[in-house]
Amino acid sequence: MISIAGLRKSFGAAIVLNGIDLEIRQGEVVSVLGSSGSGKSTLIRCINGLEKIDAGKITVDNFDVSKPRELSEARKRSGTVFQLFNLYPHMTAVQNVALAPVEVLKVPRKQAEAEARELLRSVGLSERADAYPAQLSGGQRQRVGICRALAMKPSYLLLDEVTSALDPEMTAEVLSILANLAKGGTTMVFVTHEIEFARSISTRIAFLDKGQMIADLPTKEFFSDKGMALPRVAQFLSKMRKD
Amino acid sequence: MRYDQFTPYDLVLLLQGLGVSLALFVSTTLIGLVIGTLWAVIRFYRVPVLAQMVAFLAELLKNSPVLVQLFLVFFGLPAFLKINVTPTEAAVITLSGNSAAFIYVIAVSAIESVGRDQIEAARVFGLTRWQILRRVIAPQAAAFAIGPLTGLLVNQLQVTSLISVIGVMDLTKVGNILNLRTLKPFVVWTVVGALYYLAAKLVAHAGARFEKRLRAHTAWKGL
Ligand SMILES: Nc1ncnc2c1ncn2[C@@H]1O[C@H](COP(=O)(O)OP(=O)(O)OP(=O)(O)O)[C@@H](O)[C@H]1O
Ligand SMILES: [Mg+2]
Repeated sequence: MISIAGLRKSFGAAIVLNGIDLEIRQGEVVSVLGSSGSGKSTLIRCINGLEKIDAGKITVDNFDVSKPRELSEARKRSGTVFQLFNLYPHMTAVQNVALAPVEVLKVPRKQAEAEARELLRSVGLSERADAYPAQLSGGQRQRVGICRALAMKPSYLLLDEVTSALDPEMTAEVLSILANLAKGGTTMVFVTHEIEFARSISTRIAFLDKGQMIADLPTKEFFSDKGMALPRVAQFLSKMRKD
Repeated sequence: MRYDQFTPYDLVLLLQGLGVSLALFVSTTLIGLVIGTLWAVIRFYRVPVLAQMVAFLAELLKNSPVLVQLFLVFFGLPAFLKINVTPTEAAVITLSGNSAAFIYVIAVSAIESVGRDQIEAARVFGLTRWQILRRVIAPQAAAFAIGPLTGLLVNQLQVTSLISVIGVMDLTKVGNILNLRTLKPFVVWTVVGALYYLAAKLVAHAGARFEKRLRAHTAWKGL
């Protein structure tokens, strides 16, 4: 379980996350929605320990991410997929995927690369397994990014707008992979602007507004009168649907 | 045969001088590479005190004339610390230090050239700082650094000629001796210059080939 309690984070004078409480249990797909600047990326970066938190507590399977000793354990349990892929440009797709298993989990290289190839095959990239990131399309790069996270066999996937740098066709190819993962029971925290997709795969929706979690509802309820009763949510949804 | 004529033995002398220059160049480059890289790693780890000391030392070495440093080591060390240094030792110490300072600067900017986003990715997947340095940063930094490094080394090869003033029998010193004996400066210095030129070309060529290999291996046209 990922558990977030009383999380506060500010950059200088700007309070970006202000008292966030959120729990994500095994098997859930929680989509995090909210307008630009509401703190979604910062929330993800706090969970994976890229940002130091000011107050509150975040644990991943009871490992506290603000304790350096426990952070490495927490990180083994969650895998992050980045908006801009963040692949290692000097490594092939296979090498990108196999790096962390070899270095962190001490899997023998041969085995790690075989598993990497298998993962890449499962997302339709067997032909491109030995290509460098610069030789791949955006959608292919993001599929490598997803494989890289899955290679660590994480209990949780953290995804921050993983399709927002992609055109619609590539977005569709990445989303279908995520839909399969969700169906397969992978636990996900999914930051997105793809409202309809979030609705189709999420078990819950968390809505961030100016650093506060103003809604945390089962998907059905969020998109029903209960969600619409919240003015900020209604406003957000109607705006997103117009675009 | 008159003393001011060239003899075949002069060629041997010149080649010996070239050998001394190259040997000094290669050894001080290797020492400089090890020390300069080590300094850059110290900075990468932000080792308290040590990192500041390294930055300060590199500044000093970069911004003062090599000749002055050479005199300081050759004449200063014996005078102040009562350590006797031979001309060769003084040359090795000074040139290694000087190369280290410039290699440090190149290494630091090469390390900083590697995108933060990849490093963040490596961090969230649990790689240690050392693993990130070795597996993510070093290969890309090397490809980035090899160009400036080749330029530096071509220059450092010429800088070795300064050590002739403290009596090391390098190519320039041999040229000096031949010049005094034959009184044919134009011929002597043309030949000496040509030898430096050829050696420099060799360094540049080796650097370019190495660069190609580093980049071909990565097949990465990001720079
Ligand atoms: N490193 C930083 N330094 C200073 N301010 C930051 C930093 N990172 C984020 N912020 C600020 O924090 C706020 C929240 O940013 P965040 O990236 O979390 O928003 P977001 O919800 O992900 O937005 P978007 O939908 O545009 O990605 C913004 O106002 C942003 O300017
Ligand atoms: Mg964001």
